[in-house]
Amino acid sequence: MPPPDDLVARAQAGDQTAFRDLYRQHAGRVYALCLRLTGSAGDAEERTQDVFVRLWDKLSSFRGESAFSSWLHRLAVNVVLNEARTTKRRELRVMPTDNPDVVGAQHAPVQSAGLSIDLERAIAELPDGAREVFVLFDIEGYGHAEIAQLVGIAEGTSKAQLFRARQLLREKLDA
Amino acid sequence: MNEHELERAVSRLPKSIEPPRDLWPGIEARLRKGRWNWYWLPLAAAAVFALVLIARTVETEPAWDVTKLAGQPLLGTARLTASGRLRVGDWLLTDDSSRALVAVGEIGELEVKPGTRLQLVAARPDDHRLALARGAIDATVDAVPRLFFVETPAGTAIDLGCAYTLETDSLGTGRLHVTRGEVEFATGSRSSRVPLGAIIQTRPVTGPGIPYVEDAPAPLVRALAAFDFEKGGARAARNVLALARAQDALSLWHLLQRVDPTLRATVYDRLAALLPPPPGVTRARAIALDSRALEGYWTKIHRIHFRRMTLRGVLEIDPRTGLRAR
Repeated sequence: MPPPDDLVARAQAGDQTAFRDLYRQHAGRVYALCLRLTGSAGDAEERTQDVFVRLWDKLSSFRGESAFSSWLHRLAVNVVLNEARTTKRRELRVMPTDNPDVVGAQHAPVQSAGLSIDLERAIAELPDGAREVFVLFDIEGYGHAEIAQLVGIAEGTSKAQLFRARQLLREKLDA
Repeated sequence: MNEHELERAVSRLPKSIEPPRDLWPGIEARLRKGRWNWYWLPLAAAAVFALVLIARTVETEPAWDVTKLAGQPLLGTARLTASGRLRVGDWLLTDDSSRALVAVGEIGELEVKPGTRLQLVAARPDDHRLALARGAIDATVDAVPRLFFVETPAGTAIDLGCAYTLETDSLGTGRLHVTRGEVEFATGSRSSRVPLGAIIQTRPVTGPGIPYVEDAPAPLVRALAAFDFEKGGARAARNVLALARAQDALSLWHLLQRVDPTLRATVYDRLAALLPPPPGVTRARAIALDSRALEGYWTKIHRIHFRRMTLRGVLEIDPRTGLRAR
């Protein structure tokens, strides 16, 4: 397989075979991010496809100023969070509720193999807001200021959501 | 569970998780749809007409023959009772008790072991390509190099005319054992050449480890794994050098290209002491990773290794020279 830079350049030139190779190289990383941010295997598959369709459209704007994988990661976060915001607005219109956790609870649970299955499942079961902040801060390494900007919340809310997420996780894993 | 334990558990979560099914066909369909414009209509109509004409005369969809060997493999959504055809995009699944034999076009065949999930990605004369999502295959190919490819979550096995066993889990932790010819295993940033009688381990993200010979001592194999996958750095590299024998030259040739530049001279000197370089390969050029020098060295290492492997049990071969041992 050609080096990644070469693949990106070929995909930017419209080579779909190169783009498929890029997909195969990065699908696992993108899917893991989508799975954890959405807490639903079905949604994660859809979001992963959305990310790569969006990538195809946006590829020409990649100038190599950062590593391609970092750039793609940021794009994936934006795609997932934008979709989450849109879905939440749509669902709140047809199903008014005071409890936003109800929306998250409707997703199918994550089916994930491996040693960390309990933790993965516990993360998937977190309320949407807490899960997004936890995944971005504790797993993906974003800072609170950045998360606040990405998710569209105040920095203090991000910290509070993180505290809540960690507390809920410890309770779930101890149960 | 306290804060620290949670932190540790989170740090152990895998960075990559393979999707449970191949999402590429859906993406590809949406890419095509996204680029659709009305002015393509006349062209598309003509193409459809031409395809209909062709379809009437020949079978256009490439497919490979699949034969059941044991149990009840699943071909797409149907049980494989005796034999069937694996088409591009189709998945073949074997459970714990089933096995199947797949013809690789007209250039080879592969046995699909129990617990395997694979997909036919391309079936063109110049590109025979499978995606091995998990499980194990025994492949035998008799063709010129670079016609048969098996994509795994850790990278792609590129056939260079050979027979091999490849196994992987859904994340990319696996093993490649070559029994004839040579295989290249590559990711975007790293590749390993694996000749007959050699083995590599694979891991998610990192890709292929450094190859080692079947009879490599266990401590050497552990040192290589520490270097490749456990961030063992200079210490692990020095362990490899201390444990390597002349027959492990192929491992040192790979190590030379993967160590920190400050260690290259040390690796080269050990390699040259175990298996002297051929004429024309200088220390300076090899340390600079000059491609001609590396190729020249590899040719010699490969020739001696090949001779040693093929004459196993017949003649004892000196691993430094490739000549009959005295």
